[in-house]
Amino acid sequence: MTSDRNPMKNAIAFAGATTTGFERRNTTRSQASWAAEACIDAMRQCDLGPKDVDGLCGSWPPANELQAILGLPEITWFENPPVPFINHVSAAAAAVFAGLCEVALVWHAAYRQPWNTAGSLKDPFRAAAENFPAVAPSPDTVMHAVGYTAWASRYMHEFGATKEDFGLIAINDRSNAARNPAAALTHPLTMQEYLEARMIRWPLCLFDMDVAVDGADAFIVTTAERARDMPLPPVLINAAVHGMVANNEEDQIDGLAHHGQHIVVDSLKAKSDFWIDGADVFFPYDGFSIIALAWIENVGYCGAGEAGEFMRQYWDAESNSVRLNGKVPFNPHGGSLSEGATQGSGHVREAIHQLQGLAGDRQVPGARTALLTPGGFFFNAQGLTLIRD
Amino acid sequence: MAEADEELLERFASHSVDRDNAAHFRGRLNRQLLINRCGDCGRWHHPPKPVCPGCWSTAIEPSEVDGTGEVHLLIRLHQGPPAPGVDYSTPYPVVTVELDEQQGLCFTATVEEGDIAIGQRVELDWIERAGVPVPIFRLAREVSL
Ligand SMILES: [Zn+2]
Repeated sequence: MTSDRNPMKNAIAFAGATTTGFERRNTTRSQASWAAEACIDAMRQCDLGPKDVDGLCGSWPPANELQAILGLPEITWFENPPVPFINHVSAAAAAVFAGLCEVALVWHAAYRQPWNTAGSLKDPFRAAAENFPAVAPSPDTVMHAVGYTAWASRYMHEFGATKEDFGLIAINDRSNAARNPAAALTHPLTMQEYLEARMIRWPLCLFDMDVAVDGADAFIVTTAERARDMPLPPVLINAAVHGMVANNEEDQIDGLAHHGQHIVVDSLKAKSDFWIDGADVFFPYDGFSIIALAWIENVGYCGAGEAGEFMRQYWDAESNSVRLNGKVPFNPHGGSLSEGATQGSGHVREAIHQLQGLAGDRQVPGARTALLTPGGFFFNAQGLTLIRD
Repeated sequence: MAEADEELLERFASHSVDRDNAAHFRGRLNRQLLINRCGDCGRWHHPPKPVCPGCWSTAIEPSEVDGTGEVHLLIRLHQGPPAPGVDYSTPYPVVTVELDEQQGLCFTATVEEGDIAIGQRVELDWIERAGVPVPIFRLAREVSL
């Protein structure tokens, strides 16, 4: 059923991308305030005024609120998709391609809330905004975020993978984050510290799970033609895909060899102009370390269960991170584990900056292509390929 | 007599009880593990759905399973939602068990502590928590040949 049809290929572009940076604390700002800051920066970066944006796409705050906050006079298309972030990218790109709008402002505001960190409850505003369920959910489940822990245990069982394999994902992220001023966690992480970290849900510890943060990313999506008239080099959307299988509940999937990621890989390969050999930078999503290990294997860098060994093989001692063939980094911004839990918006923003030559100390020289695989196994696996114009 | 809907929802307030899974939770009150089976093609599915994913029949029959199977996934919660009688100072084990009734048909519950590992044979038992029966797996007593 995988189709190579992709009429939108290279027709739609990111003209710009901005971030406020991320903080691992309850800031005294609202989620909307972070989104507004990133959006205003993105519009200024692209020389756009309030009348120049006619499309809006973001989850929190919803589009109507963001429009009112920024005083945007006329919006002809908007969407409030669920995370992760390729939902936003594909919706906005398709809307521009179809002519529903010309210039879409797209955002993701990360925010520390009770569902991602209990520490958020220390902020009375955050506690008051939350609709607490009257009764706590049962612990007898592997649904929701717990599902990745369950499949991490299966991964270890099937392949004899070790905690060190998971730790390499966390250390790679942390080393890269040290070169990213936007990252929440930048102090070095050793394997020893990783192995001794607080266990949250065995076999996953604190450093296997993304870090709840405050902050936002924003993007301008428009036609490639229009983007060429804007200040920065356009980054073309080569392909954007989603993947899901019938048995997509956390405890019912067919196994590590057949879930959403496999659909994404088949589809993205068919629609894209390049694959791993042609990717200058790779973004395996890392909301949980196990997700990144699985992406590294499923896109074809190595076989099932071999991601840890693969990372060791391409480990660069000097940068204390993966440098495939001496140059290609994985999650150069530090990923969700160290930059912050952005649901993929950080991965997309960093990819755009790498291809625009704006990645500072993290810049991959001459990077022209990026392969991104946001999302997990069950109902949110996604893929994106980007090419510098 | 069947529990009134309101009472069922109240007793299983920590679960998301809806029209499609109400029969499953009613079964728990009788210490019966009811899993949906298609009256037309015989296929089992879980969690409960309004039609059979195999043949689209609506002749769904919540049917009791033996509760025997093999541990497929295993986690130990070092922290988690508050629940009566659950003390995370001893990590709380949760298993997903592939039931004997059908390949790939899985059910998730807690498990009696012990040398639990993926691949082991388990059977179903019940404990009481806040006045409601809760399914719990334990290592299978008899060695099946
Ligand atoms: Zn059927």
